[in-house]
Amino acid sequence: MSQLIRKYSDDYAEYMRDESRTTGYAETISFPKTEEDVREILGALAPSKTSITVQAARTGLAAGAVPFGGHAMNIVRMNRVLGLRKGENGLFYVRVQPGVILSQLKKDIEEKRFDTKGWSSESLAALAEFEAASEQFFPTDPTETSACIGGIVACNASGARSYLYKSARGHISGVRLMLSDGGIIALRRGCVFAKGRTLELPKENGGTLIVPLPSYQMPATKNASGYYVADDMDAIDLIIGSDGTLGIMTEIELELLPLPAAIWGVSTFFDSEKKAIHFVQKMREKVSNVAAIEYFDVGAINILRDQKKTNAAFAQLPDVESWAACCVYTELHCHGEESALEKLYEIGVCIAESGGDENKTWVARNARDLEQLQFFRHAVPESTNMMIDKRRQIDPAITKLGADMSVPDEYLEDVVALYRAGLEEYGLESAIWGHIGDNHLHVNILPRDGADFKKGKELYAKWARVITDMGGAVSAEHGVGKIKAPFLEVMYGREHIIEMAKMKYAFDPGFIFGRGNMFPADVQEEVQL
Amino acid sequence: MRCVVCIKQVPSTTKVKLDPVTKTIIRDARQSVVNPFDAYAIEEAVRVKEKTNGSVSVLSMGIPATERLLRDAVARGADRALLLSDRAFAGADTLATSYTLSLGIRRLGAFDLIFCGKMAVDGDTAQIGPELAETLGIPHVTDVTEILELGEKEIKVRRATDEGYEILKVTLPALLCVVKDINMPRMPSIAGIRYSQAAPFEVLGAEALSADIARTGLDGSPTQVVHTFTPERAGECVQIDGDCKTQAVKMLGLIAAETKTAEGGN
Repeated sequence: MSQLIRKYSDDYAEYMRDESRTTGYAETISFPKTEEDVREILGALAPSKTSITVQAARTGLAAGAVPFGGHAMNIVRMNRVLGLRKGENGLFYVRVQPGVILSQLKKDIEEKRFDTKGWSSESLAALAEFEAASEQFFPTDPTETSACIGGIVACNASGARSYLYKSARGHISGVRLMLSDGGIIALRRGCVFAKGRTLELPKENGGTLIVPLPSYQMPATKNASGYYVADDMDAIDLIIGSDGTLGIMTEIELELLPLPAAIWGVSTFFDSEKKAIHFVQKMREKVSNVAAIEYFDVGAINILRDQKKTNAAFAQLPDVESWAACCVYTELHCHGEESALEKLYEIGVCIAESGGDENKTWVARNARDLEQLQFFRHAVPESTNMMIDKRRQIDPAITKLGADMSVPDEYLEDVVALYRAGLEEYGLESAIWGHIGDNHLHVNILPRDGADFKKGKELYAKWARVITDMGGAVSAEHGVGKIKAPFLEVMYGREHIIEMAKMKYAFDPGFIFGRGNMFPADVQEEVQL
Repeated sequence: MRCVVCIKQVPSTTKVKLDPVTKTIIRDARQSVVNPFDAYAIEEAVRVKEKTNGSVSVLSMGIPATERLLRDAVARGADRALLLSDRAFAGADTLATSYTLSLGIRRLGAFDLIFCGKMAVDGDTAQIGPELAETLGIPHVTDVTEILELGEKEIKVRRATDEGYEILKVTLPALLCVVKDINMPRMPSIAGIRYSQAAPFEVLGAEALSADIARTGLDGSPTQVVHTFTPERAGECVQIDGDCKTQAVKMLGLIAAETKTAEGGN
């Protein structure tokens, strides 16, 4: 047995759970630092056909990183920035190990300061150009900045700014994927494409992997449900969002963009949800340069109001006036203050046309005010988790139930009506927030007891069916992991789930990677037979 | 109650950069913000205005780009903005600055309360408020955490001290230097920003203020900054891995190497 593999003990208990509050188990655990370490661990585990769950910061909300038996490979020590290059398009690309933490990478990029030990001369030359260039940023901004890049790519994360910049997928330009036999598939965007629905992937040390792609059509909405497949697709897109089921990413290359000169945030308060939805529709129609359109309903605002009263850490939250029933946060990314001002006035017009009031807004035009608005946004999920943790002390079986579904634009009003009717019918406490610009709301059911928890799960299954009928996605940014695997079958049907499993088989014939992620166990048996 | 707020443009605290040649702070308009303590002064003045149906004038001595921050103060509730800008004011220390500000305040007309932030985060002197009050011949209170009572002729305030708090009564007109505990500054609204962009804006130079040039700028500054520098980062963090024994051996090795270097390689 490799020295890199450690037997499980209680010292590693924290590695058995993630932010979804799901708890798993593993017989062994490892913390590789290099691609060679990963290969050594795979080799040592191969004879026993041990399943491997790759995990990083464990900030995921779908339990994709929680091991259900076998080996947990934690890649947080693969945390080096490996190099930089400048593309022919003038953009910079940074190459990292998958355990690099997003907040650290953001800081490195902002300060233009990297640990360059072991960098090639080409990378160092690119760094000199990078230092002389305008400020740059990585546009994917999940709320959880302690996430690792590997996790972000594994679930195709997005965040508030995905309204303009889309999900992480569009900003991932290269991946090295290690297969179960230790072989590497190195992919760079724009280099390997499918022929129709078949991929031929060259392995680095010779040989080709023939991959039959599933035949389903993906929804035309924000989507992180199952594998990305399309006719003649770029091969790298299959790896992004594959939930750790195809192999182990050992390197990732990210595309950076020039930072907009003016980033302004606007929180607008409304006295009714209807007016807020109307405002969102107007914004989509009339205002450009909008990076984010986020929503907070009265349930979310009330949780913040309570936290502010009782928790000193939230004392700096600005007061929300008592009449406010909901809030829409919009963020402008413009090339200068003049154009931002023009767009700000356009937002004002949309507010007036939706029955709101320009006076009832908070505008952040400097770093300090933006931090205030970001603190407000981040405090919502944090406060909700704290509230649920308190309830778990009484009933440990309950967890927060968070929906992550999206629908096409034309169904925004319908989907909100669906959520409201369901919550009322089942008598459940809730807080709704999230990416309303993409019709992607996180409906968080806050169970008071086990009975509520059961009812909430039933309601989600019901919503998954209706949302599928609307042409939506059951997971828009958190990935499928273990928690949403049953919904994936609702969305695509058994036949397509089998196709997905057959495709996984081409990469991972032993079905060792990501046990329990995406597929029910019986599907694996059916494919392997 | 007629309030005046003095504000200063400072570099964003997280991004202070020094020109490697001139050793002066690079003042990039985009990276500049209102001094964080002054934001609390603006908010407190606007609260006093709202309680007393009064007015707020906001004043700064600075480069023309300071207009952006003065208009921002108007967006947050100030009624009038005045910028004191002239080459003759450049290089001013706290004495020359407080003299120039006193001229601007007299130009604004009668006042009851002047608000300043505790200090500016670029200079860290905390001298402007007290010096300005002395120049104007009015009382002042530093480190104000709360206005307890607002009367027509006097106010009662709480100030933080090293030992705790003091409650003080002070006759008006007076000057208050406020700290961050005093309030939670509001953000401007879109309506406020529209108003501020269209609001009249005054800029006055040395001549318009009838300033004694010998008391302004570099000429009026008994103190001068001779040299500014970024301290060298000393020390490097080394991570030691392995079991206890391995770590101890590696650590001893590092200490031995350091000792050798310190002893001149012998």
